[in-house]
Amino acid sequence: MLSMRELSRVYRTDTVETTALDRIDLDIADGEFVAIMGPSGCGKSTLLNVIGMLDSPSSGSYVFNGGEVAGLPESKLADIRKKHIGFIFQSFNLIDELSVRENVELALLYHDIPSSERKQRVEAVMDKVGIAHRAKHRPSQLSGGQQQRVAVARAVVGEPKLILADEPTGNLDTQHGEEVMRMLQKLNAEGSTIVMVTHSPAHADYAGRVVNMLDGKVLVERRRAA
Amino acid sequence: MWRSNLVAGLRALQKNRTYAFINIFGLAIGLAACIVLLLYVRYELTYDDWLKDADRVYQVQLIHTDPETGVRTIQQESEGAAAAPLAKDFQQIDAVVRADGDRPVFLRDGEPVFADMLSADPQFFQVVSVPFLRGDPRHALDQANSLVMSRAEAIKQFGTDDVLGRTVTRIMRGEKVELRVTGVFEDLPRHSHMKFGLVTKIDPEDAASCTWGCVNGFVYLKLRPGASPDPITAGLPAWEKRNIPSRNVGGAMVSEGDDFDWRLVNVRDVHLSGASGGDPERPNNDRTTVVTFAVIALLILGIAVANFVNLATARAGQRAREVALRKLAGAARRQLIAQFLGESLLIVGLSMLIALALAELSLPYIAAYLGTDLHLVYLGADGVLLPILGLWLAVGLLGGLYPAFYLTRFQPGVILRSNRSAAEPPGTGKLRALLVVAQFAVSIGLIVCTLVVYSQIRFARSIDAGFRRDGLITVANLDRAVVVPLVDTLIREAQRLPAVRSAAATSIFPATGQTLNTDFSVEGRVKPITIGWYSVSPEFFETAGVGLLAGRLPSRANQMDATLLPVDADARKAIAQSYVDRGANIVVNRLAARQLGFADPEAAIGKTVRVNAFGAKNGLMPATIVGVVKDSRFRSLREQPEAVAYMNNGFYSRLLVHFEGAEPAVVRERLAQLWKRLVPTVPFEADYADAELAELYRVDQARGLSFAGFAGLAVAVACLGLFGLAAFTAERRTKEIGIRKVFGASIADIVRLLVWQFTKPVVIANLIAWPAAWWIMRDWLNQFDARIALTPGPFLLAGLIAFAIAIGTVAGHAIRIARTNPIHALRYE
Repeated sequence: MLSMRELSRVYRTDTVETTALDRIDLDIADGEFVAIMGPSGCGKSTLLNVIGMLDSPSSGSYVFNGGEVAGLPESKLADIRKKHIGFIFQSFNLIDELSVRENVELALLYHDIPSSERKQRVEAVMDKVGIAHRAKHRPSQLSGGQQQRVAVARAVVGEPKLILADEPTGNLDTQHGEEVMRMLQKLNAEGSTIVMVTHSPAHADYAGRVVNMLDGKVLVERRRAA
Repeated sequence: MWRSNLVAGLRALQKNRTYAFINIFGLAIGLAACIVLLLYVRYELTYDDWLKDADRVYQVQLIHTDPETGVRTIQQESEGAAAAPLAKDFQQIDAVVRADGDRPVFLRDGEPVFADMLSADPQFFQVVSVPFLRGDPRHALDQANSLVMSRAEAIKQFGTDDVLGRTVTRIMRGEKVELRVTGVFEDLPRHSHMKFGLVTKIDPEDAASCTWGCVNGFVYLKLRPGASPDPITAGLPAWEKRNIPSRNVGGAMVSEGDDFDWRLVNVRDVHLSGASGGDPERPNNDRTTVVTFAVIALLILGIAVANFVNLATARAGQRAREVALRKLAGAARRQLIAQFLGESLLIVGLSMLIALALAELSLPYIAAYLGTDLHLVYLGADGVLLPILGLWLAVGLLGGLYPAFYLTRFQPGVILRSNRSAAEPPGTGKLRALLVVAQFAVSIGLIVCTLVVYSQIRFARSIDAGFRRDGLITVANLDRAVVVPLVDTLIREAQRLPAVRSAAATSIFPATGQTLNTDFSVEGRVKPITIGWYSVSPEFFETAGVGLLAGRLPSRANQMDATLLPVDADARKAIAQSYVDRGANIVVNRLAARQLGFADPEAAIGKTVRVNAFGAKNGLMPATIVGVVKDSRFRSLREQPEAVAYMNNGFYSRLLVHFEGAEPAVVRERLAQLWKRLVPTVPFEADYADAELAELYRVDQARGLSFAGFAGLAVAVACLGLFGLAAFTAERRTKEIGIRKVFGASIADIVRLLVWQFTKPVVIANLIAWPAAWWIMRDWLNQFDARIALTPGPFLLAGLIAFAIAIGTVAGHAIRIARTNPIHALRYE
């Protein structure tokens, strides 16, 4: 799926130079479920953003789906992103002014998909995550767990190969957290590759492989016995 | 507490410099425009209220109703003959005076110069009570050689205003007459419909010779204290019948009272009375224009206030945390409302100071441009301090009320728990959208009006007037007694000058202010019809470029083509009678031919009509139409085209000179030399026809341009507001845009999204503005007899301009926001 070699990401301000990612080597195969763990500020989220092409590496190579993407222009990255990657955020990031259905549909809006097909797919995915009965509600009228389910629906409606989740359970209570994790596990079982950043060891246990980071470097990789 | 409030308010401004700048300057521009316009409106509405007893002083105006078309024309000047009968028949009248305008020649330092002078009845200064500096207003006009002058005139002539008893030399029919100064009055203020610097006693003989039907000056009257003009107005129809004698025109008895009526207009209302014929340097205004300016003032203010409210509510969310914390600290809602109103007053106060500075800086230019002496004074009777304090409070409270009330409605718990500073109560977005639509509707409407007014002015300048406009010079004063015998020589000599193609003498000319009519009796009609009756020399048609449609032009060789009269009055009577017996040839324009009953020009040729050529006593003269020429518009397009009969009685007012292939100034100078050689006692006065015609539309143009200027200002203020609003909206939607980008929206998608948000209100604004502007402009154009068609062009153009402005204003923000990396927006909320 993706492969990183000697990949670094350095932030520069006038006076300070911060190395968020330090010569990372990482390979993720199709169908894997990878959890990234580590203390705050270790570079987890930066790594996830680079994987999701929301951020570009300062140096090194990043091969996605067989092609080098480091150094591609923003419009090309946006194109790859839109076709292959779905995002889930800790704070859900739903648009308050749009209904649940419209929020889910948003992920298809910028693809060339006829509206009838769009509608079918949105209904199907809302059904799948169990929020079809809330389709007309606004995000602010839903509980946190329901909101995250909408976010999951939005992430998968475009049928991406790769789903990136940035602390998807961080804002949820235990019960709702477990619910979301089971959902991700199910998606993985159906063939989606998932990369998730989390603080929770319990949730990391859902993943097939755990990557521990510290100070911008990959410390340990631990594979769960299959 | 107030200190904390003030500090919070000032820091809020400091934190958002763009916001503060837009708010304060936008409002300042709006307030300045509003102040200047309202000063102008007040100026226009207070003409002549400086005059002592102004509430009792009235001008007698003359109303002519065209019996054919029903069109009413109202003149400031009326028959002097009406004065005595008015005083006799109405108890309410204290005094009636006549005041005829004249331009005699005075001798100054040995050089003949023209001066405007009024010839008035001795009681003139008791009715028009201008303040006297020297002399006794009751007796200043007792003697035939009395002369009363303004302070400025005295200083111009003698270098001092202490001039009682000093003499001035007037040249009358080539002879010197001494006038003695008997009074000096304070200069008339600029906002008066009257303008006079010299007043002498009216010549009773002259006045008596001018009877009913002779409009030779102004008639003013003063009512007794407490008397109402209404009984006089009610009594005028009966008064007409009692006092105006009928005369016999070709067997039909006609009276001046048939087509003419009189009305009393208070001196303070004359300026806006819509009556023509006042002093050309004191152009009339009409109420519609004044109201239009007042409306524009309020619209600009409205737009600026709308900006203020929009920006305040848009950024209110950012202040929500402050409100919540103050509430937790125990602030009552009413204290918070007071705080926000106070802030609003602070901002409006700053804006007002800048606005006053802007107004003071721009006023001299605007005043000069509009031909007024507008000025801004703070204290005193016409001081603006109180109105400005009122405006400050009104705008401050109006602009602060809505933000104050809804900001303080926030529940502190909700805002603090949501862990965000931005909160927007429902409904505010709609209010903002509504205000933006209103701003754009006004702007679009103003742009449409400006485009239409501009097109009409251009059209007026370029329309085929039916005569030559370029290469035409008119020389005045052919009607002076010493010039009359020299007219033929002048024409002949002028034609010999290099570059001069032809020259003619005429009593009708471009931009003429003089109307000469007479009665024509037509077979089969009981009442005679009134048609223009102008004396022109045979060269007129070639010189003015008035084309022939049928028949022939008059010729010097044909005696029947002229009815030349001698200067001497007694000899004139006998010759006039011989012309009436003999008959004469005339040329008419197409409109006159039609009014005389000839459907096409050919049909009129050779036909004879009967015309009152020398006064009803002499009987009607048979006039044979030998030629029909094109219609010409010598006057403003506001006026109906004139039906004209051209004859040649040897009396003219102007020399008309057509030249080609030389600088106009050179030709003018050659004519001046010729004039000085032939008529040394009368000053040379000449003008270019195109300049005189442009002068007809000068006021229109000045008003049109001011209109455009203020329309532009309104649009600019609206744009400023939109710019600020777009900045806030873009900021508010940062998260949404981030999300959209993560899910694949391109920069173009985002820009389109934001631009569309502001395009929608423009579309709606167009739908509101178009019909309103169409309706207003149709009315405005209707006052022009020749006018442009109201095409979709200006409407579409205004709409496009508004779109371009909206998109240009918003696109900058949109592109900036669309290009930011979405992770910033999404991670740090």
